[in-house]
Amino acid sequence: MRLTSVLSVPFAMVGRRTLDIATEMGGMTLMAGAILRRLFPPRVDGAELMRNLYNVGVKSFPIILVTGVFVGAIMVIQAGLYVEKYEATGFIGWGAGFATLREVSPIMIALMFNGRVGAKNTAEIGTMKVTEQVDALRTLAIDPVSYLIMPRFIAMVVMMTLLVVVGDATALIGGAFTSQFLLGVDVQLFFRSFVDLIHLEDFLLGVYKAITFGIAVGVVSCHFGITVTGGAVGVGRAVNDSVVASAIWIFVLNYVVTTLII
Amino acid sequence: MQVTHVEVPRDGVRIRCQGVSKYYRRTAVLDAVDLEVRDGTMLGLIGPGAAGKSLLVKIICGLVAPDEGHVFIDDIDVTRLRERELQALRMRLGMVFQNYALFDFMNVGENIALPLRMEGRSSETSIRNRVAEVLEQVALPGIQDKMPRELSGGMKKRVSFVRAVVRRPPIVIYDDPTGGLDPVTSAKIFRLLSDMKAQGTTSITISHDLDGIRPLCDQWLLIEHGKTLFSGDTSAIDQCETPYVRQFWRGEPA
Amino acid sequence: MSAHPPHKPNVLELFLAALGSPFVIVGEQFREIFKVFGLTVQYAQHGRRRWKEVWLQAYRIGNESLVFIVCVAGSLGVTLVYQAGLQAERIIGDLTPLGGLYLQILLREFGPTITALMISTRVGTGIAAEIGSMVVTEQVDALQMSGAHPVEYLVVPRFWASVVMVFCLTCVSVLVSWLAGLLTALLAFGVSPYTFATLSFVIPGDVILLLMKTTAYGIAIPIVAGASGLSAHGGSEGVGWATTQSVVNCSLAVLFLDVLLSGFGYLVLLR
Repeated sequence: MRLTSVLSVPFAMVGRRTLDIATEMGGMTLMAGAILRRLFPPRVDGAELMRNLYNVGVKSFPIILVTGVFVGAIMVIQAGLYVEKYEATGFIGWGAGFATLREVSPIMIALMFNGRVGAKNTAEIGTMKVTEQVDALRTLAIDPVSYLIMPRFIAMVVMMTLLVVVGDATALIGGAFTSQFLLGVDVQLFFRSFVDLIHLEDFLLGVYKAITFGIAVGVVSCHFGITVTGGAVGVGRAVNDSVVASAIWIFVLNYVVTTLII
Repeated sequence: MQVTHVEVPRDGVRIRCQGVSKYYRRTAVLDAVDLEVRDGTMLGLIGPGAAGKSLLVKIICGLVAPDEGHVFIDDIDVTRLRERELQALRMRLGMVFQNYALFDFMNVGENIALPLRMEGRSSETSIRNRVAEVLEQVALPGIQDKMPRELSGGMKKRVSFVRAVVRRPPIVIYDDPTGGLDPVTSAKIFRLLSDMKAQGTTSITISHDLDGIRPLCDQWLLIEHGKTLFSGDTSAIDQCETPYVRQFWRGEPA
Repeated sequence: MSAHPPHKPNVLELFLAALGSPFVIVGEQFREIFKVFGLTVQYAQHGRRRWKEVWLQAYRIGNESLVFIVCVAGSLGVTLVYQAGLQAERIIGDLTPLGGLYLQILLREFGPTITALMISTRVGTGIAAEIGSMVVTEQVDALQMSGAHPVEYLVVPRFWASVVMVFCLTCVSVLVSWLAGLLTALLAFGVSPYTFATLSFVIPGDVILLLMKTTAYGIAIPIVAGASGLSAHGGSEGVGWATTQSVVNCSLAVLFLDVLLSGFGYLVLLR
């Protein structure tokens, strides 16, 4: 093999990757724009909206509940190690609660949400695209974005926010129980330090993040769904890409929101 | 392809189903089906689409468990076996799937070699020779390195056939061997089935191509919506007076 | 002789069924997962060794996930150190233990768990999609007819690959996060790299806990994803459903194991 062609291989790979990423970023921006245009004035199908609110919210509820409990337990255990070391057991509520509400809970809930709702969304829209149902909508003079995507997007943003709040609550409960049974710190003491030292802003930071994450997962999953090509295998690949891209956005946006709000 | 020698039951019935039923959400997808296949004969399993035929043969192979009833292969109760024992029993079986089910992550040669490798008795060289030999016999020489997606439907069907019989099993099941194939290729496949039968294979064939399998089958089982509508030999089905059976057998529209 | 179809249920039975059905569904999933786990352990010990396949799977896991994990680990490192630094400045005023404590919590918790969650996402979907589409195209049936057991042939190589690669990827992730944190501490708070780069807080228990976690996650992910894939049914929609179920179940499994192991770490290792 010629030396130049061997040397060019890594560049070709990097180049191709960059082009792929640029294409996806462009697509996501276009999708975000399309959604934005249909928000003011709102062009949404009411019945579809209701159906999606149910599917997205009610059906994800148990999973988020369980995630919240786990997150609460983990945070209390980790905080507990330090709190014991510095003999500040009274502060366990604050120690665990602070990081949980501001950082860990929104991210964990968003990742779970992404895994369940984001993946399912891309799969559904993708399957509809591949079976030409999207084209069928167009021939009936129905705008696919208004009919298919807007209800899902709104449902995802609304539900993500609500579910993060639910997750916060269950994390607290999970944390309280863990601190009682594992650390031996009384539940009342846990809540006292929590209430004393955690402010509304900490909770709200989590909520702002939730809204941002909801928007991200919505835009990304719908984009990857509607641009699927290549049959069932293409749908599987799109789901994979969608979930990964959303996860990256979640972490990046997490940084952005934290920096901006502080 | 000479057939592997195995102990045949004294009454000569190699495959037997007794009262096999399978339910899907309160509906009977298979309803108390009985069948018997004798050594060296072919059973034609026919019926309209979604009647339960593919499900029945999967139950016979032990891939799916029935909700009621028993399946005996060489007098061994398949429904009672554990996975390990099932694997041993499947050495006597070959199945040609309706949708080929070729492994899309390996090439043709590897597809055919897999059953031989799992058997674990042959050396690398003898496996390779055997693969080349069977491909020759279906007029597909030298395609070992091709991937399944590069093949036409007829070629895939033949590779699937060859993979099922490469271990020379005494019992073979063909699920829709000529579905979607042109008349010339179909004829080639039916000739393969005929050759297998001539060498003493016991088999079940599912097919919609009644003209094609009429000369091959000794016994028939017609299933509709999971229920047995007819069970018997060729002369009996020719004379059957049940309206649906007559219509189906002669290919008359309803 | 006709079969006896099941009888039609009355209202009470329907109500109880609706109440109990989530438990039944979850219970069935658990049963599937344990079955696959048992079979995997059995075949891993006694089955054929196909090292070439293991190597291939390991390469794919690493290749697919590396860039993804580096991005996530980097942003996480920046965020964590930035947040912690701000709080520390505000409350304590002293940033010297920042590096040491950060490394410790990275080893104990964030490194392995976040990496495992990311791998659940990427690799969990991949495995479930691959195995799931093989199930719906009857390739798994054909495997069984050829004499290969699906768990032995499909899951076990991915199992070995995963146990090794989760550990490797966690190491990479911890390294990247730590470096990102170092840079953040330097650029945002002026903490010198020498102060930041200290091992004084790390105890042997931390490293043992890290090893335990990566091993547990490495075992759980391919098994849960494989179980989801093997239970797919119903065409390409079924593959989509199996993929979704796989991500959720893998993530939940990781979190559950995290609770268990962190608790164990708290009670035993880290005193």
